[in-house]
Amino acid sequence: MTRKLRRAVMYAVLVIASLLSVFPLYFMIVSATNTSAQVLGARLLPGLQLLTNLHALMAQQDLLAALWHSSLNAVSTTVLALIVCAVAGYGFEVYHSRGKDAVMNILLLTMMIPFAATMIPLFRMFSEAGLANSTLAVILPAISTPFLILLFRQSARSFPHEILDAARIDGLGELTIFVRMFIPTMRSTFAAAAVITFMGAWNNFLWPRVILISNSQQTITMLISNFRAGYVIDYGVLMLAVLVASLPTMIIFLILQRSFANGITGAVQ
Amino acid sequence: MKPLTKIAVITVAAALSLTLGACSSNSGSTTTSSSSAGSGNHLTVWAWDPTFNIYAMNEAQKIYAAAHPGFTLDVQEVSWDDIQTKLTTIAQANQLDQLPDIFLVQNNAFQKNVTSYPQLFADMSNAGIDYTQYPKAVVDYSVVDNKNWGLPFDNGAVIAAYRTDVLQQAGYTLADFTDINWSDFLTKAKDVLAKTGKPLLSGQANSSDMMMMMLQSSGASLFDAQGKPAIVGNQALLNTINVYKQMVQAKVYTEVNSWDEYVASFVNGDVAGVINGCWILGSIQTAKDQSGKWDLTDMPALDGVPGATNYSANGGSSWAISASSKNFALAADFLKSTFAGSTQLYDTILPSSGALANWIPAAKSDVYGQPQPFFNNDKIYAKIVDYASKVPSNNTSPYYYEARDAISAAVTQILGGTDETKALQQAQQTVEFAMQ
Amino acid sequence: MSTVRLTAKPSPATGRRIVGLEKRHSLTGWAFLTPAAVLIAVMSFYPMIQSFILSLHTGRGTVLHWASPIWYNYARLFQDQTFKLTIQNTFIYLVIQVPIMLIMALILATILNDKTLRFKGLWRTAIFLPCAVSLVSYSMVFRTLFATNGAINDALMGLHLIDSPINWLAQTGTARMVIILGLLWRWTGYNMVFYLAALQTIDYSTFEAARIDGANTVQTFFHVTVPQLRPMILLTAIMSTNGTLQLFDESWNLTQGGPANTSMTMSHYLYQLSFQSNPNIGYGSAVSYAILIMVAILAAIQMKVGDKRD
Repeated sequence: MTRKLRRAVMYAVLVIASLLSVFPLYFMIVSATNTSAQVLGARLLPGLQLLTNLHALMAQQDLLAALWHSSLNAVSTTVLALIVCAVAGYGFEVYHSRGKDAVMNILLLTMMIPFAATMIPLFRMFSEAGLANSTLAVILPAISTPFLILLFRQSARSFPHEILDAARIDGLGELTIFVRMFIPTMRSTFAAAAVITFMGAWNNFLWPRVILISNSQQTITMLISNFRAGYVIDYGVLMLAVLVASLPTMIIFLILQRSFANGITGAVQ
Repeated sequence: MKPLTKIAVITVAAALSLTLGACSSNSGSTTTSSSSAGSGNHLTVWAWDPTFNIYAMNEAQKIYAAAHPGFTLDVQEVSWDDIQTKLTTIAQANQLDQLPDIFLVQNNAFQKNVTSYPQLFADMSNAGIDYTQYPKAVVDYSVVDNKNWGLPFDNGAVIAAYRTDVLQQAGYTLADFTDINWSDFLTKAKDVLAKTGKPLLSGQANSSDMMMMMLQSSGASLFDAQGKPAIVGNQALLNTINVYKQMVQAKVYTEVNSWDEYVASFVNGDVAGVINGCWILGSIQTAKDQSGKWDLTDMPALDGVPGATNYSANGGSSWAISASSKNFALAADFLKSTFAGSTQLYDTILPSSGALANWIPAAKSDVYGQPQPFFNNDKIYAKIVDYASKVPSNNTSPYYYEARDAISAAVTQILGGTDETKALQQAQQTVEFAMQ
Repeated sequence: MSTVRLTAKPSPATGRRIVGLEKRHSLTGWAFLTPAAVLIAVMSFYPMIQSFILSLHTGRGTVLHWASPIWYNYARLFQDQTFKLTIQNTFIYLVIQVPIMLIMALILATILNDKTLRFKGLWRTAIFLPCAVSLVSYSMVFRTLFATNGAINDALMGLHLIDSPINWLAQTGTARMVIILGLLWRWTGYNMVFYLAALQTIDYSTFEAARIDGANTVQTFFHVTVPQLRPMILLTAIMSTNGTLQLFDESWNLTQGGPANTSMTMSHYLYQLSFQSNPNIGYGSAVSYAILIMVAILAAIQMKVGDKRD
């Protein structure tokens, strides 16, 4: 009896939580196919305006350029962050020494530094180096993060040292071992790290807003935010833009979700 | 410190750009700036209102292109807040090539920007523009050190536009709302609301536009003659806030959250009137179904304030040419031949967008005397020119926007129940604090 | 580890070679972590020092000079009513949102960890999916939903719960509430995934044993689940606290900090000080240091509390 009740409560909680989670997303998708008036009128059924909205969006904004900038930023940040942080996390664990542990602890301290505290000097630094408005300026601060290094260090703990020793005896170089042995066994960690980094980079707003002065460099998040500044907002078009901006991260998450969960689990073990 | 920074950043940058180059062959394109100054027969412009200044710019392009074949213009919609932020960051980052050739600046912010960032503005004193063809008060917004840094565009004279059909329904005519005081307005507005269910006014909750118009209509300001904040003990301000409070509480003034909601409130017919700078006429006229039902008059005057008038200004802006523009001569000639030299331009933009010319020769235009069908066949532009000439001057300050923000914050608090004196004292402190 | 084993019994013949190898491995190790360490040094530590130096300067726009007295900007912080207000706002978000979010995430993770549960993947995906949406995007969705003439008001009026539309974003209480709702929506699933991962490392029989001992669901939750997850709860608490103290996107896009700055966050104020109107970068840097100190103090407190319960 109580067992049944317990199960009922469990499913009820899950259903409510899932509905609440999905509703704004559903609203976003449905609204992208409706007119501005219908969006404000809370129409919750799909409409016929998708193409009209798409035309309006493409006409009003340089959507493709913004998507391209966001992709470039997110992909380069993710690739570089995975390389740099995986190598470092592996280095800290596999070759660990007291000196390296001390360095790791110092690096971990930067987890406490709010971005706001470094934003102004970073802006001045990149400006003085003539790098304002450049992709490099957007991605550089996001490549090396203590969180990712920690994630890779934790998962490197489960990397069997027998393999390492065997490979060394076989005469493989250290870098070869990393590339051929470590990367393939740590796929799920890489997936988790990729999901976190890609989402962070794709969704980043404050820093691109500061460092990308020219409108021609704007990212998709900046494009959406600038809708707010416009005089008359077409909510259907806005919701379509929001949908377009969210699709890449959603798709990546859905594809990598299993490995993502395993990667996080592997790291906390 | 600086060379060290440079070396550090460049080293890291160089090391990484190699990697970056490998994973994205297109990374090179990101460093070439593309929005900045056009070349040859092409100009780039920043402006913010598609129904007003952007529209006017595009009309000017057509006129100039007729005499200069192949002349093109790229007008980008950038909100004023964004233009201000961009000017700030461009100056700090020393990225002058990111400026367009021409950009629009709010008159109230012109002095501040020229003084803080002189490197952004091109001197237009010798651009061949006859500044004597503008009222001196308007030109003065963009004069610093006896040099002209801008070309006045619109002056933002305030109009009060009403839906005459709604007024009629409540038993009023436009005359009942002409040359009145706010106390009078309040009584009648309440009556209109009771009889028709429609509030007469609306505005953005977080904006002090309405109050600034009321304040300026009596020649008062948030600053004293020495430029110090004069918020506490400012009788005109107290009366202004009092009227505003009463209007909101009586629900004859609807507070909305955003500009689009504000425009929608009268375009959709939820609200039966508008008091704002005359540039709002462009937005009013987007409600095609309401053609003929609107008419306009002057705004109400403050009660019990010496020097109170029925005239004020809101907005008003001037064009600036950027110091980094490689097309200064073209930009200057373009502005000179259109905004400072073409009655044809004003004849086009005036009726459709309410772009009231500061350029005196344009005031001789026939358009001013023509009845406007949308506005009940009234000769509204002759009226506006008359109002514009009676607007009391505005005492602006580099901290004008800080003061405005402080006032809107204070009024939000007052409406929420905070003691008026306390809220205004805090506003005064906030502005004084910002000026330290 | 491996190096330890290698050096454990060095034979005289190979000793020199092994020491050389160990040294080489150590150097390889340093080489491996150098790029990351250098990047963090240049992108975090160096700007942090710069920020401190800047915070000792005053001036507007591009004209800066040393402050006199040197602590001028820091003294100024204590008179700044707006900064105090933004601290208050941020802490309201922190105190209300973080505990609710972490408790909800814990409960959901516990339910999802139940072996008998069906459609696990479906629930997990649905609850985590909001995390894939950018902060700017969801701010826009929430702004649209909570507009005066928007869907939420229409729904509430349709249900006759309210008579006239509520201007959610223009009143202090409701504007803050909308931001908190947004944060809960966006981040609960994210934290849940961390708890779920941690729960899966716990031997499931622990939970069954507790149940056999007669513990009910609530007791199991408090006496088995929570203690086991303490390190992860600590980590998520620190991450969420850190994230909340740095809120910007929601304040900027959802409420624009209004009404009367009562929903503005510290980072939003910092941005306004540094890049809008009359920029005061020196003072902005002082504000950023104040935020840094708050984050550090809160993290230290949390670690202390987290440790003590051991």
